[in-house]
Amino acid sequence: MAEKEGSKTAGKPIRCRAAVARKAGEPLVMEEVIVSPPSPREVRIRIICTSLCYSDVTFWRMKDPPGFFPRILGHEAIGVVESIGEEVDEVTEGDTVIPIFLPDCGECRDCRSKKSNLCSKLPFKVSPWMHRDETSRFTDLKGETLYHFLYISSFSEYTVVDIAHLTKVDPAIPPNRACLLSCGISTGVGAACRTADVEAGSTVAIFGMGAIGLAVAEGARLCGAKRIIGVDVNPEKFIIGKKFGVTDFINSHSCGDKTASQVINEMTAGGADYCFECVGLASLVHEAYACCRKGWGKTVVVGVDKPGSQLNFSSYEVLHSGKIIMGSLFGGLKPKSDIPILVKRYMDKELQLEEFVTHEVSFNDINKAFDLLIDGKSLRCVIWMDK
Amino acid sequence: MADNQSSTTAGKPIRCRAAVARGPGEPLVIEEVIVAPPNPHEVRIRIICTSLCYSDITFWKMKDPPGCFPTIFGHEAIGIVESVGEEVDELNEGDTVIPQFLSDCGDCVDCRSKKSNLCSKFPFQVSPWTHRDETSRFTDLNGETLYHFLYVSSFSEYTVVDIVHVTKIDPSIPPNRACLLSCGVSTGVGAAWKTAKVKAGSTVVVFGLGAIGLAVVEGARLCGAKRIIGVDVNPNKFEIGKKLGVTDFVNSGSCGNQTLSQVINEMTDGGADYCFECVGLLSLVNEAFACCRKGWGKTVVVGLHKLGSKLSFDSFEVLHSGKSIRGSFYGGLKPKSDIPILAKRYMDKELNLDEFVTHEVSFEDINNAFDLLTGGKCVRCVIWMNK
Repeated sequence: MAEKEGSKTAGKPIRCRAAVARKAGEPLVMEEVIVSPPSPREVRIRIICTSLCYSDVTFWRMKDPPGFFPRILGHEAIGVVESIGEEVDEVTEGDTVIPIFLPDCGECRDCRSKKSNLCSKLPFKVSPWMHRDETSRFTDLKGETLYHFLYISSFSEYTVVDIAHLTKVDPAIPPNRACLLSCGISTGVGAACRTADVEAGSTVAIFGMGAIGLAVAEGARLCGAKRIIGVDVNPEKFIIGKKFGVTDFINSHSCGDKTASQVINEMTAGGADYCFECVGLASLVHEAYACCRKGWGKTVVVGVDKPGSQLNFSSYEVLHSGKIIMGSLFGGLKPKSDIPILVKRYMDKELQLEEFVTHEVSFNDINKAFDLLIDGKSLRCVIWMDK
Repeated sequence: MADNQSSTTAGKPIRCRAAVARGPGEPLVIEEVIVAPPNPHEVRIRIICTSLCYSDITFWKMKDPPGCFPTIFGHEAIGIVESVGEEVDELNEGDTVIPQFLSDCGDCVDCRSKKSNLCSKFPFQVSPWTHRDETSRFTDLNGETLYHFLYVSSFSEYTVVDIVHVTKIDPSIPPNRACLLSCGVSTGVGAAWKTAKVKAGSTVVVFGLGAIGLAVVEGARLCGAKRIIGVDVNPNKFEIGKKLGVTDFVNSGSCGNQTLSQVINEMTDGGADYCFECVGLLSLVNEAFACCRKGWGKTVVVGLHKLGSKLSFDSFEVLHSGKSIRGSFYGGLKPKSDIPILAKRYMDKELNLDEFVTHEVSFEDINNAFDLLTGGKCVRCVIWMNK
């Protein structure tokens, strides 16, 4: 949906509302902020809506670096281009765009390789700045710098994003579905379809049925997996999981004397072809590895663990089991090429996104989204900017 | 080469010489032993020659289980079938065969799958017995049971091996080349060819240039790798490595202030496509992982580590690097199908085996082979039975 405001505000700072995290773990404060115009290779975006991802919560709580305050969090979103900086050819004012934390420069060896989505030119880091010049485009009304988050900072009516972190999408997709492709759902679907390359007819086990785990299930379903085993401590996740193709549910608190991996090894007569860890706990990665089928099983690490966490494997097991261990960042997807493909699959009614959105709030109520996610009551809560 | 003695010995115990390990780390004693006839599904083999592998040494030194004594070691060999037990259709007296520690029943899910070489019907264990009934076919002249080793026990003029542990091969291949395919060279070549699936034009690093590492080099060369970096503490290994395809040598003792992986990351401008650990040191596996190319690099664990040891990886690294980790057991090869393929490649002068045999001794001098290998002075020492 084209926006004509660019002609009025282009080249000038914009004063708008943002939800600022002033201290670790404290409710975000709605304030007026100043958003600079985009520098070369940057784009200023008017956010339509944004959704809360657990990674926002993790860094919101983090007192020490890479936690930084005051900060504008948020990284799963959809918006409209308000103005572009110099040297931007790819998008114009009025384009509908999805920002992504993972850069895609299109030029470096990794971006040109089919096998990697880890851009070398603008390597991913948990940075508080813009990617190229490591400065901020945000100040508060006192002139104090506000930190960026994952190069996006979508908890603001306007934000500035590097062109390498933007994907143009079909404006016909409902925004409260499209924003999910900005991080969580793409990560999960990609982990199954791209990183693991799940084969039709196979058996998949997913540890953690949050939005990521359910997105892995959805991806495995799209790949034709025959059996999708979901593991969680919350039995309600099975009900929603079924909609995404989960065929069996294991409540990890109800396994009695056995571990979840023992239960899975029994129910699969030897292990699943693919095991995904979608929580961010080393102990669950070990469980996933333990119930992976010997010979060919793949264990995929998707969840983000705390810094410094170690994964430990018996060297004998590694040598003798034939199992593969790999991680998946943004599902192995290349944002600029793959997000439009997922958009199309949604529009063609193949990819399910509806069920992920369990709550919707207006921007003023953004802190409710945090409460819902922390309490385990939501999958994705969409926050509408409503301007 | 057909052998007519079977008509005289079939069905009866054979009295012959064996090199018996009576205690951990003690020189082997050449003594007369009694070898029972083969049970159903077993064959009795007259060994032509056998070679020493470091795994023999590891278990020979081991004071505690799975080390046990008295044992007939040896698992890399070639021989002639002297007699077959009931229900053996695959082989006849006089056939030339290679025994292997890894079973291939041809029937179970793993043996029938292209993706696995880990037979489920006869799972591998470090066992002191025959595979099916867990008894021994060997006694000494006092009637004391002698233990088997890895289901093969080739340090004996005659041994009894289960049919799932025997592969028939073309008799025209020289025995002091063929025996190498029984374990070490197959493991290394397979690790590159089957497990890692090294692509033409790629860059490979091999940590440890013993027989296994050199065989990985050979395998990588056959796969068309453009650059093969060999890492060892012994600069003499570069000479022999070059003959098998090593293009660059890194002396791990001469890296100065840098770690091995730093040196390799610099030489390769970001890491190698495949890194193989062929020593059995935990720290080297981490080095291998560290100098694997992000995005697509594969770290392959081939060396046998101390029992009970753990491989440890940083969870963040695994998630964000796109690298994968996998062990390679017997190079991922299926013995009965792949050993004959390698034998043919040798006969067609594609696969180089000659360089691996650095020493040859007669059976009486078997302890010299142990000294040479523990002293780091040989690659493969072939022991001829000479009878």
